[in-house]
Amino acid sequence: MTEYPVRTRRWTRKEYRRLGELGILPEDEPVELLDGHLIVAEPKGAPHATIVALTATVFRRAFGDGWLVRQQDPIALDDASEPEPDVVVVPGGLLDYFDDHPARPVLVVEVAETSLYYDRSHKGSAYARAGLPDYWIVNLVDWRVEVYRRPAEDRTAELGWRYLDVALFAPGATIVPLARSDIDIAVSDILPEARWRLR
Amino acid sequence: MTTYPVRTRRWTRKEYRQLGELGVLPENEAVELIAGQLVVAEPKGTPHTTAVRLTAEALRRAFGAGWLVSTQDPIALDDDSEPEPDVAVVPGGPRDYLVDHPAWPVLVVEVADSSLLFDRHHKGSLYARAGFPDYWIVNLVDARLEVYRRPGGDPAAEFGWRYLDADVVATGGGVAPLARRDVAIAVADLLP
Repeated sequence: MTEYPVRTRRWTRKEYRRLGELGILPEDEPVELLDGHLIVAEPKGAPHATIVALTATVFRRAFGDGWLVRQQDPIALDDASEPEPDVVVVPGGLLDYFDDHPARPVLVVEVAETSLYYDRSHKGSAYARAGLPDYWIVNLVDWRVEVYRRPAEDRTAELGWRYLDVALFAPGATIVPLARSDIDIAVSDILPEARWRLR
Repeated sequence: MTTYPVRTRRWTRKEYRQLGELGVLPENEAVELIAGQLVVAEPKGTPHTTAVRLTAEALRRAFGAGWLVSTQDPIALDDDSEPEPDVAVVPGGPRDYLVDHPAWPVLVVEVADSSLLFDRHHKGSLYARAGFPDYWIVNLVDARLEVYRRPGGDPAAEFGWRYLDADVVATGGGVAPLARRDVAIAVADLLP
């Protein structure tokens, strides 16, 4: 196929909200707004759903009181992005985000199987651009956790930003979240080894 | 840049109309619905505008009464496409399209400078898939007319279809529209 530029219409977060309010974009439609584009979420399998729930449970236990762990809920990333990361950790409690979605999660996690490249390059770049300090990809393909930190500008990146530090953690290792240097998360709690052998 | 599959939300023609009616998408916003995607039109210069006017004028003269020559008006192409070709010739008069936009132009014309590849491959494939018999590109880059005819299936094309016949007519030449084989249109009359 021939390559040529095609610009599609970009949406702001305000317009995106209106599309929902007017019923044009039904609440339950699996789309998320990233850099102005309405990205359709691919259907997710049982392993994905299981690991998302497991990750959230592990985080709730580890972070404890004063932190809110949300699953597949919107975050107010920027004027043209309102993604719904698989798991986010934000300070505060349930009622603190009644008026608007949280904007600056201290930890954002995507569980990736088919979406691995997209989560690495596109979402990673969007999260880096927004300055999110701690981004984890729970990689179901290689059964490991990828930890991205230190956002910085890079013109070759999808949206002009990327994370400078990448570290890989296999089951057996532990990860210390940036926001809580006093706790560590065991990778095998999120990615149980027994399930890996079955795949 | 890495390539990976990203699907963006596709819109139907019905939703597209709703977006306009509810004011989410202002009437004057330069977008057109192409195969479910809201494609943004690039700003057009005066040579483009001039060529559109010249082409419309030449086609009005050639087709005469009983035909409507519209410029940059919507075409009801399919359920998820409502492009606005630079010039389109449809049978009948203005009141014939009060309820819905015309669906079967006998001739569509795009004036292309920066949009040349898009018009050839993307729009060409879309128009071929819709079965439009006669598609012309007024090519401002090479100062010539490209005439596309005989839509046929081609899995390698953007939308699975393309025009099997492509003719290039230089400034000195002329071409007769398929729907009006008795009139010849001079390419020089279409170019600024």
